[in-house]
Amino acid sequence: MNIRLLATLFVAFGLFFSACKDEGTTIFDAPSVTAPSGVISVEAGATGLSIDFSVSIDPDVTATYQAAGSGVTISNSSGSVSGSTITINFDAGNAAGAGSITVTVTDSEGKSDAATAVLDISDESIVRVTSNITADATWSADKVYILGGRISVVDGVTLTIEPGAIIKGEAGTGPNATALLIARGAKLMAEGTAAAPIIFTSVADELTSDDIKNGNFASPNLDPDISGLWGGLIVLGKAKISASNDDGELSEVQIEGIPTSDPNGLYGGNEDGDNSGVLKYISIRHGGSNIGEGNEINGLTLGGVGSGTVIENIEVVANQDDGIEWFGGTVNVKNVVVWNAGDDGIDTDQSWAGTLDNFVVVTPSGSCFELDGPEGTYVARHTIQNGTVVAVTSSRKIGGSLIDVDSSTPVDMKNIHFVAPLEGEGLTVTEDEVANTTFENVTFAVSAAVLPSLMEQGGAVPAGISAGGSPQANVSVLSWTWAAQAGGLDGL
Amino acid sequence: MRQFLTITCLILTALVADAQKGFIRGTVIEDGSGFTVIGANIRVQETGSGAVTDLDGKFSIEIAPGTYSLEISYIGFQTLTIEGVETKAGGVNFIGEIRLSEEAFETETVVVTAKTIRTTEAALMTIKKKAPAMLDGISASRMKLTGDATAVEAAKRVTGVSIEGGKYVYVRGLGDRYSKTTLNGVDVPGLDPDRNTLQMDIFPTALLNNLVVSKNFTAEMPADFTGGLLNIETKDFPDERIISASVSIGYNPAMNLNSDFLGYEGGKTDFLGFDDGSRELPAGAGTSEIPTPISVIGGKFTKQEASDFIAGFDPTMGAETQTSFLDYSAGISLGNQLKLGSEESSKGTLGYIFSLSYKTDYTYYDDVFYGEYQRLSASDAYPLRYANIQNGQLGERSTLVGMLGGLAYKTTSSKYRLTAMRLQNGVSRAGQFRIDNNGDAVGQSGFIAKSDNLEYNQRSLTNILLNGTHVFKEKGWELDWRLSPTLSTSDDPDIRKAAFSLSPIDTFINAGEGGNPSRLWRSLSELNAVAKIDLTKSYTFRGEGAKLKFGGSYTYKKRDYEILQFDVQFFGGSQSFPSGDPNDILVPERIYPAGNVYIQSGNIFPNPNEYNSTVNNAAFYVSNEADLLPNLKTILGVRAENYVQRHTGRDVIFAQGGDGNNLDNEKVLDALDFFPSANLIYSLASNQNIRAGYSRTIARPSFKELSFAQIIDPLSNRIFNGSLFPYPDWDGKLVETRIDNFDLRWELFQDRGQLFSVSGFYKFFDNPIELVRIPTQQTSSEFQPRNVGDGKLFGVELEIRKNLNFISPALQNLSLSGNVTFVESQIEMTSIELNSRKNFERDGEKIDNIRQMAGQAPYVVNAGVTYSNSDAGIDAGLFYNVKGRTLEIISSGLYPDVFFKPFNSLNFSLNKRIGKERNTAIDFKVSNILNDDLERAFSSFEAEDQLFSRFSPGVSFSMGVSHNF
Repeated sequence: MNIRLLATLFVAFGLFFSACKDEGTTIFDAPSVTAPSGVISVEAGATGLSIDFSVSIDPDVTATYQAAGSGVTISNSSGSVSGSTITINFDAGNAAGAGSITVTVTDSEGKSDAATAVLDISDESIVRVTSNITADATWSADKVYILGGRISVVDGVTLTIEPGAIIKGEAGTGPNATALLIARGAKLMAEGTAAAPIIFTSVADELTSDDIKNGNFASPNLDPDISGLWGGLIVLGKAKISASNDDGELSEVQIEGIPTSDPNGLYGGNEDGDNSGVLKYISIRHGGSNIGEGNEINGLTLGGVGSGTVIENIEVVANQDDGIEWFGGTVNVKNVVVWNAGDDGIDTDQSWAGTLDNFVVVTPSGSCFELDGPEGTYVARHTIQNGTVVAVTSSRKIGGSLIDVDSSTPVDMKNIHFVAPLEGEGLTVTEDEVANTTFENVTFAVSAAVLPSLMEQGGAVPAGISAGGSPQANVSVLSWTWAAQAGGLDGL
Repeated sequence: MRQFLTITCLILTALVADAQKGFIRGTVIEDGSGFTVIGANIRVQETGSGAVTDLDGKFSIEIAPGTYSLEISYIGFQTLTIEGVETKAGGVNFIGEIRLSEEAFETETVVVTAKTIRTTEAALMTIKKKAPAMLDGISASRMKLTGDATAVEAAKRVTGVSIEGGKYVYVRGLGDRYSKTTLNGVDVPGLDPDRNTLQMDIFPTALLNNLVVSKNFTAEMPADFTGGLLNIETKDFPDERIISASVSIGYNPAMNLNSDFLGYEGGKTDFLGFDDGSRELPAGAGTSEIPTPISVIGGKFTKQEASDFIAGFDPTMGAETQTSFLDYSAGISLGNQLKLGSEESSKGTLGYIFSLSYKTDYTYYDDVFYGEYQRLSASDAYPLRYANIQNGQLGERSTLVGMLGGLAYKTTSSKYRLTAMRLQNGVSRAGQFRIDNNGDAVGQSGFIAKSDNLEYNQRSLTNILLNGTHVFKEKGWELDWRLSPTLSTSDDPDIRKAAFSLSPIDTFINAGEGGNPSRLWRSLSELNAVAKIDLTKSYTFRGEGAKLKFGGSYTYKKRDYEILQFDVQFFGGSQSFPSGDPNDILVPERIYPAGNVYIQSGNIFPNPNEYNSTVNNAAFYVSNEADLLPNLKTILGVRAENYVQRHTGRDVIFAQGGDGNNLDNEKVLDALDFFPSANLIYSLASNQNIRAGYSRTIARPSFKELSFAQIIDPLSNRIFNGSLFPYPDWDGKLVETRIDNFDLRWELFQDRGQLFSVSGFYKFFDNPIELVRIPTQQTSSEFQPRNVGDGKLFGVELEIRKNLNFISPALQNLSLSGNVTFVESQIEMTSIELNSRKNFERDGEKIDNIRQMAGQAPYVVNAGVTYSNSDAGIDAGLFYNVKGRTLEIISSGLYPDVFFKPFNSLNFSLNKRIGKERNTAIDFKVSNILNDDLERAFSSFEAEDQLFSRFSPGVSFSMGVSHNF
């Protein structure tokens, strides 16, 4: 046996397990820098601020520093170190939240040390909400509320939002998604007005309370097709739903995306007259962040919401998932605009038993209507009426169906008009599965000859669907919306 | 370290043996008990020189070439003479096991002729015959015969063992929670965040000595196993000089040399089983604020920083076709033992072993199927309805590198052993699937999409064992101590997924359908450190040998787990990708701000998808083995374990800054338990035993089960809720499962390793833990570990090994071996489960509240025919293995139960030794001769089964050659 070979193998083996390191000799002390302790509070937008870092370097070397900050603008971001203090001069940014300043000291020997001062940039007109709302609360018109997470208004508690208030969700996806959830038994009293709507949007939106006061409801900096920046508004109630865990007496399920270990996500029950509050003149924008694979938050999610709840004058702009989705319940909703939804415009599930009246759907990315039926034994019908649908514009076009119903979908669609252009766009209605669906005066802006080509199988046109027609929604009551202000409802 | 190696090498250099002489080596054992004989005298009649066996019963005599007679004597035993022992210059004649019989009335010397006995099943069989616990196992020689490459393939030859998911060993069909694996007798960490048992495919058989499964508990074993305790023994130092090398190639017509194979551009060191850093988390991604268009608007980052950050993610999102190569493997082993000092004043024996193995396999499935099927709501509608179907191609390249080195030093009364082992495995996977989602199904939106999935899983295990054994022969004491740290890691760096919705008019990314493209990093690391001491005192009780054993162990475990996830998002604008190519998503012109693509974080800091857990387990035991009645060996023992588990982790609400649940290194379990065991062995005849046993064992909640975790695992799309959350029907108090085990066995041993045995067992589970599916969650699979109703298990096991010479002497080279395990398991359902099943009760179906235990196979069958002709140097075998239809996923009502269908595995292997010295061996192996498919299926009353998953492994061939120099 060749001993040298063996020795080589052992050495190689040893190196595989442990990297050897030679210690160098130290001649000079490494520099040391220390940040002020604790969190330093500063006012948002404040200028001429400074903080001191203490530093020590070996007397035999020279040193320089580099300062970097977040949420602040530093005026002396580098320099040489003299004495035992480095004073950093900065201005606080306008955004409230956490900030920091990190100073790195590097000496002429190449050794360095760094320390970070933690800042809390506060803005009294900005309130960051990170905990569930467990006692009645009011969010006022002159403030902006930041959703720092998935915030639930818990059972028995009422959240009142004054007209003109702005609520902004922080960015994130998956477990990090932000949303406002009204749990079963809780109430949301959000009565905006046409002159002072309540806006739910993203922290990226630079919309201010002053903009609202001035009647400018459009986002100053975000296009109306930017979606998925935050979650959405979820309202849950105790009305009947038709879910597959129906045990004959009661059906209740967890809203998608919230772990069942958080009981605020439960919806459904036996109280069809349940009241989750009042939602009026509310515009929900840029939401719909992903909360699980293929699972997003809708602009407005209504799970088991009862008929005692008032929901009218609602706008959903650029939501990554559906505009409004109903999961059972009995609530009626009227005066709605869904603009540039990332998935479907109007989505119903679990035998919703209410009416959607007077609405406009403009260019969702999925289907205009995605209407499903019962999942359990309980069956109830819903009505969708007096609406105008824009499937194609010069810049956007739907990717799904004009109407997507299942054979079991118990829905009555009345007085709905699909505007031109439709011909030659490859769009279809799933007419082969309309067994449980009725149509009355549902019109498509094409010639009678072209109409059959809009039917999925190119087959028969169901009764109640016809060619021609004109817009059915009354858009005058929707003039307060961003869509209307941006001209998106012109000609409807 | 360097110094240590230098010294080691110097010692080795000084010890170069005198090449003129040869060695005679062997092991002396008591024929009756199988125990080694320490201090037996070996005398070379011709020269008068000799040796005394050491504490392993081994001896080594250095002698000039020639033919000798050895006389082996020990007080109380018949003296044995072995004639015709040849020695060559520089060679080792390893005689093998020399069996000394107890002295009978006649005291004549027994004379036999030397013949080589290899380390065989016979040795294991003797251990099995005399062991206090019921054992089954497989030896290195058998692994060589069956041609199994990894421990998981070898383990399935063991009676009552079944393999789950190609990686996990279940004993007697009991699931993951009730099986345990140790390495050289000490705890080793697992490699899967969702399992308790160790993944066994990571151990190359080339590094193993044997696998032994203990099916009942005795006090010196850890108490947290119920089905079986599988111990992996790595190679010790060899009796003979070994310098061997082997190479092999494998070919599967469907998988190798296939130009349709799917892969993706990975790292430069993938061929060594680890990533070179190309899949590392991009800089700055693991922080609470990442550069996105939103944080740019917030003034926290510049557009350039956002663009640079996004560009930091590898733009490869799509699989590409490559041509797969043949499977190949190679290994070398070196080992020897060297006598220190002179012949007259021996300073002991130094042994070393070094072993290196490498293998790369290609797997390609051209028609993989994953399905999700639901029941319909009408109770008279029997057929199942699909919710989602994915089918497509999947390519997988796996590289496994194993390295083991050991040094041992042995004197007549002490032995020290230092072994270090490192296993490294990297699996690169690329898949392309077509997804058909059915909008009619509950909770489904309905779409057609195509998706590309790229994954890399890298695992490693590093183990060091320092072991000392000391025998104080005169006083009857034996002491064994072990110190063994093990570090394991399992990382999934940069799992990539991209799906495009396909509509007649567009190819686009739709968050609500196939989902936004995602990137994920998952990491798990676990350290186990074990210190263990065992003392045995031999004494005489009523004239028979008896033993008192006691000892203790301390085990420390620490596990760190984390998931970080990111989604590709669009900042307004188009989400169309007419090319349908996932590699077009992260191209510079589409990245923000030039384009609209950016990356958003799904991570909160502190991270709710992260936890750290520790366990401190101190154990003591005492056990006594004595013949209380003639021929009735009685082993009574008790073990005490003080188990403390701590957890650091939090739920989503706490992580977001709210009033949630948080555990900061808090005690979640602190219990002192006593585990009694009683085993009786009644010897009906010298070759027949009846065994009966009772023991109490435990199954404890895993690290993440005792927590407030809300882990959303995007890999499985499952949500896991820690047990500490209360629900209306659950109090949030998870307790350990305590199991009473009863065993009975009759066994008959015959010569040439022949065996027949019948066993029966019964187990009662108090507070068994199962993952309960939460029925209020309809759109995803959500689970919580809970104590469910009582569980029971009855089983019968048969094992036979029979040589066919009883039919005709011409068939003496043929042997049949087989084992069958039948198990009936019962578990009481929770009311939640029963209700959700009742909701979907079909007309004519009757649902009661008892079902089989999940993961519990109703039967396991192993059978083989082996042909062994040592004159011709041929060993061949045909082996069959199957396990019965096993419940894998428990029904939620809407989704029916998923069962693993029997996979009929038939394999052939042939081993032919050639050359004058028979030093070269050629192996040939055919796997899955029946060309069966691996299938899991949904099963519902009166409905046709529908596939949950299907893989077609095809028939594969491999050929190898090994040579011992």
